[in-house]
Amino acid sequence: MMEIKAYSRITADKMVVNGSTVYSSSDGENINLTDLYRHLGIDYPKFFKMDNLCKAGFLGAETIIRDAGMDTVTPKKDCDIVLFNSTSSLDDDIAYNNTIEDDANYFPSPSVFVYTLANIVTGEIAIRNKIMGESSFYVLKEFSSSIIYSVVKETAQETSANAVLCGWADFLNNTPDVLLMLLQRTDDGKIQFTAENINKLYR
Amino acid sequence: MEKYNLLRKILINYTDNIMEQLILELKKQIIEVLNLEDVKPEDIDSQAPLFGEGLGLDSIDALELIVLMEKNYGIKLSDPAQGKEIFKSVETMAEYIEANRKK
Amino acid sequence: MMYAIGDNIVCGLGFNTDEVYSSVRRDISGVKRCEGTFGVHEPFMASLVDESMVDDVFDSLHNSRSKSLCRDYTKFEKMMIISAQNAIEKAGVDASGRDFRFILSTTKGNVDLLGRQNTDSDRVYLWRSAELLSEWFGNTNIPIVVSNSCVSGACAQIAASREINSGTCRYVAVVGAEVLSKFIVSGFQSFKALSSEECRPFDKSRTGLNLGEAAATIVYSSDNEENKGNFAFCSGAIRNDANHISGPSRTAEGLFNVLDTLTENISSEQVAFINAHGTATLYNDEMESIAISRSGLNEIPVNSLKPYFGHTMGAAGVLETIISSRAANDGIVLGSRGFAQSGVSCSINISNMTKNIPERGQAPYFIKMLSGFGGSNAAILLKRVL
Repeated sequence: MMEIKAYSRITADKMVVNGSTVYSSSDGENINLTDLYRHLGIDYPKFFKMDNLCKAGFLGAETIIRDAGMDTVTPKKDCDIVLFNSTSSLDDDIAYNNTIEDDANYFPSPSVFVYTLANIVTGEIAIRNKIMGESSFYVLKEFSSSIIYSVVKETAQETSANAVLCGWADFLNNTPDVLLMLLQRTDDGKIQFTAENINKLYR
Repeated sequence: MEKYNLLRKILINYTDNIMEQLILELKKQIIEVLNLEDVKPEDIDSQAPLFGEGLGLDSIDALELIVLMEKNYGIKLSDPAQGKEIFKSVETMAEYIEANRKK
Repeated sequence: MMYAIGDNIVCGLGFNTDEVYSSVRRDISGVKRCEGTFGVHEPFMASLVDESMVDDVFDSLHNSRSKSLCRDYTKFEKMMIISAQNAIEKAGVDASGRDFRFILSTTKGNVDLLGRQNTDSDRVYLWRSAELLSEWFGNTNIPIVVSNSCVSGACAQIAASREINSGTCRYVAVVGAEVLSKFIVSGFQSFKALSSEECRPFDKSRTGLNLGEAAATIVYSSDNEENKGNFAFCSGAIRNDANHISGPSRTAEGLFNVLDTLTENISSEQVAFINAHGTATLYNDEMESIAISRSGLNEIPVNSLKPYFGHTMGAAGVLETIISSRAANDGIVLGSRGFAQSGVSCSINISNMTKNIPERGQAPYFIKMLSGFGGSNAAILLKRVL
């Protein structure tokens, strides 16, 4: 039985970790991911090279992995990363398109292009935490706790994973929409991994 | 003879200044295009290696520097392998730009 | 295990699998030099699908809807639908049934819509493409889009097997599709990853990728009813390198873990051949040779199909599985076009000549492997059933 050991939720105005608000944006403004990074006291210069989707997903993962006390140095073949969203990498696609749209100012940017794939966020999390199990990314029309539940369950079953970092990671129009959960095979009676509980944490 | 030496000194001073300015400009541009958020120009040693140690830049950074050369200085590098020598340090970059710039 | 009961390929070499496979057997490549195409500033090598031919074929689909909607579908959407419809007809099953699902594998979908006026259209979303596909067949199950860089085609087949194994459906149509655009071509050009000539996977003089467009579909079934199966899917594995977001691991950690898992319960002699990713970049091919060697698979014949199709990204895993299955059923491993002299550090069994493979009883399996940005690596184990 898989349980949700830790979870984080980032929305337009705040970040919540395991039920407690750890950061709120200033009145009326959308949350600024760089401010959030600094507030969380993370030291990882590569953060600034990431696109918005990766920044949001990275911050969501960083907090719960630290909170759960997961070993981030030893390569872990028994941990999977399974993420979902609805806009794929559209936010960065638009940024990349801006580097090629104008023929008179045509300078395709490789550092922007590399992020025009939604699964890069799973790569960034894997690199940071030495996670070497399965990494997958799926695009759905909208958040669906039942699809997330069944796909993650089937994945963990097939790979015999002992831990799975999973959930929803989306970013568009300056707005993050992230729910990340760290699942582990434990019996300490915390939150069970079910479609119903995923839905509760998201809403 | 004195006038000649004086003129020579002024000229050397002038070209040194241009190079200094270019190096400073280059450092600011590198920080910007490579998203080195917490790095200031004075933190970058002009002669230190850019790749490997030093700023620890990677393959994508090297490609982005190629774009920088074209965008800001009109220099097109047809062969990315040339980059290894040119991007050794900020100083070698500045020297190459000074010798080949079209903007 | 799930069985492939119908398939179809739309690409630069033709509009059905037979046509495409026949061209490959005659060593014809779809890759051509493209100059000025899409408005990119440098020429590139690619296998493109002629848009007017796509329109004609789409028009002629036996469906009254197609004529009135022809102008409204994008080239990408038409290719997906043509490929899926043909594969489903071959499979002879009802795609509108509750026991039928669609899984779409694509990296950029309709991304070229970004440059146009109507940017608030939801057609640019990958989920919308999958929805359009399902709607065409009157299927109401929620389709899934796999977007896992260039390994998506293998991932989609793995996702299909999980769906079928869990009992939630009986049939899955795995559709891999990708079209080229200024967006994609300029991006690869900014990576200096493209070759100015036909690509030469694993060769000493290789200089990079060619690109390609394709839509490829495999209809999988939970059982081999009426012996319709062309080949079977046994298992698959996806693993991350955890090393770099665009450069492959120098020790091939991810791909080695994949192959190790995949071949856990079989011996290497049972594998007839490995169809590699073989993009012809310096680092990818080197990494694949290391993975093959570390897994003790050096003796197994290896090839790459990229010189015929170019790199078709989201479609690659599906397209290359189909062609590999045809070769396996013909008792051969296709020669790796463009290969002359090895340019990788580990010795692998690769040749530009088409060769016979052992009988099905002796070597029933073949492997399709892929790698992609984000540190993704994947491979699937397929079985000959004919």
